[in-house]
Amino acid sequence: MILKLSWRNVWRNKLRSLVIIIAVAFGIAAAVFAGALTNGLIDQKMRIAIESQTAHIQMHNSAFQENMDIRHSLPDADFFSEQFAGRDDIKSWSGRIVSTAMLNTANGTTGMKLLGIEPEIEKKVSAVSEMIIDGAYFEGARRNPIVISQRAATKLQVRLRSKIVITMQDIDGEIVGAAFRVVGIFKTPSAMFDEGHAFVKQSDMAKLLNSDKIHEVAILLKDIDRVPETVAELRESAPENVEVLAFTEVLPELAAINDSGWISNLILLIIILLALAFGIINTMLMAIFERIREIGVLMAVGMQKLRVFSMITIETIFLAMIGGVIGMIIGDIILRIVSRNGIDLSAFAEGMAEFGVETIVYPSIDTKFYLLVTLMVVLTAIFSSMFPAIKALRLKPNEAVRHK
Amino acid sequence: MSIISIKNLSKTYNPDTIPVHALRGVDLTIDAGEFTAIVGPSGSGKTTLLNMIGGIDSPTTGEVIIDRQNITALSAGELIRFRRDHIGFVFQDYSLLPVLTARENVEFVMQLQGKAQSECDQRVDELLTAVGLRERDNERPGKLSGGQQQRVAVARALAPKPRFVLADEPTANLDSRSTSDLLDIMNRLNQDEGITFIFSTHDQRVIDRARRVVVVEDGVIKEDTVVA
Repeated sequence: MILKLSWRNVWRNKLRSLVIIIAVAFGIAAAVFAGALTNGLIDQKMRIAIESQTAHIQMHNSAFQENMDIRHSLPDADFFSEQFAGRDDIKSWSGRIVSTAMLNTANGTTGMKLLGIEPEIEKKVSAVSEMIIDGAYFEGARRNPIVISQRAATKLQVRLRSKIVITMQDIDGEIVGAAFRVVGIFKTPSAMFDEGHAFVKQSDMAKLLNSDKIHEVAILLKDIDRVPETVAELRESAPENVEVLAFTEVLPELAAINDSGWISNLILLIIILLALAFGIINTMLMAIFERIREIGVLMAVGMQKLRVFSMITIETIFLAMIGGVIGMIIGDIILRIVSRNGIDLSAFAEGMAEFGVETIVYPSIDTKFYLLVTLMVVLTAIFSSMFPAIKALRLKPNEAVRHK
Repeated sequence: MSIISIKNLSKTYNPDTIPVHALRGVDLTIDAGEFTAIVGPSGSGKTTLLNMIGGIDSPTTGEVIIDRQNITALSAGELIRFRRDHIGFVFQDYSLLPVLTARENVEFVMQLQGKAQSECDQRVDELLTAVGLRERDNERPGKLSGGQQQRVAVARALAPKPRFVLADEPTANLDSRSTSDLLDIMNRLNQDEGITFIFSTHDQRVIDRARRVVVVEDGVIKEDTVVA
């Protein structure tokens, strides 16, 4: 009966209720859209980082990450082939020789992380091969081909078929160098990645370093949600000096960005709901003041104060939830429409590249966010109902029943 | 057998500023099955007396004893439960819940008592039949005339099977025909089912039908007449 009474009370003054329902709906729709945009940016940032840089999991010698000393290598690739055999969670993996190197041309010099890869294997782990904007991915040069980013090419003032001299320390600590020829120029959405990475063939790099030991194993899983379990399992079976890192550990800023995205969505939601709460309080106060006599009668005929309180709280929850649900539906419809072609933010291209994302953003939202919105709307309604409900409870039946 | 016993009841409003003595040492006993009108001019204290009997106002001094229960000693929560289970109220302006149908208004207090739906349905059918509104049970109060609304209010007051019904100026907003119909219904319920009715009124039509008339003036009982 309390539910029925509360529901019907919502519709006593349709116009007043609709005004606040519409306000809540628009507020929630805006929160859903803003949240989806943030999520879209973060998802894209993570996807790009995984595709071009980290894969899902990386394995290194425990001492390697500290100073990238190439003497801290991993076991042979055959060891990992055996380790990963029969695992159906691993989609593909690639062993990499990694070293810091200086890239020199007649017009410039820059320091980079140089990755020695087997192109056909690396293609299955990294999407850099699909981001070639000039030339090809290790095709067209028989000896010492190198693939560099557009940013590096600009900095070194080179183009396809230009020569770059690479110098680095070999396994014995001697400075060694060789000339490489640019066969491909790539451009990922991440300016930071582009400025710091170049790719050569593993055999060429092994020859230069005088060592064919790999330093990094990048693993791509079939399902990103499996990362924590696979990491745990690989840690169990890995040799003592081998560390297994999830992509969020390789690039801790990814985890931080993901968390901060949630926090910023939550803060935005709280701000919107706080503003709406005052509208809800106002609406409910007006409703209570109009019904002083009726509430007095309810108490006179035996309605306990807790039930009066519940009636007002449930009424407020109905009011807020109707708006909340409509808002989520509107937000979801807008997202579905916008997600087809994405939102073009090319006006902010430079900033987007610095953040490491493309200029077309596809807003995305998951069930968790809708659950959060629902919970927050209910909490806001309960919070908003407190003041009007307490006002109602303070009414004295003998005075309230005489109220005009 | 008395069901209401009032002893030395006083009520003073604004005791610290400008005291208004609404009741001054009232003693009154009401027996089961009475059809009593408490009459007096506006401001005489009759509504205050009714509120004290109904437990919706507390006295400054004195006691209200209902069925050997001193209700002035009850806590606020106990008093609400006591009113729900033992006292029926009829108000001057009907005071039905506009968002509920006639049927729902009548069963509302029974729902508060936690009665089973089947019991509620049976009781509501009986009461709406008794007040002649069985056919209009699904109408909301706004669709009913004043007289019909007050009959629903009487049915609501009787729904929880109270010890007595307090009616505050129940005919004040009704025309002669509706007043007559309402009084007929109340009288019949009183005669046939022994339900005790206590009215506060200055409507002569009610006074004429009452079998006991208690006159209150300036917060004291001036006359207490049992009509033969």
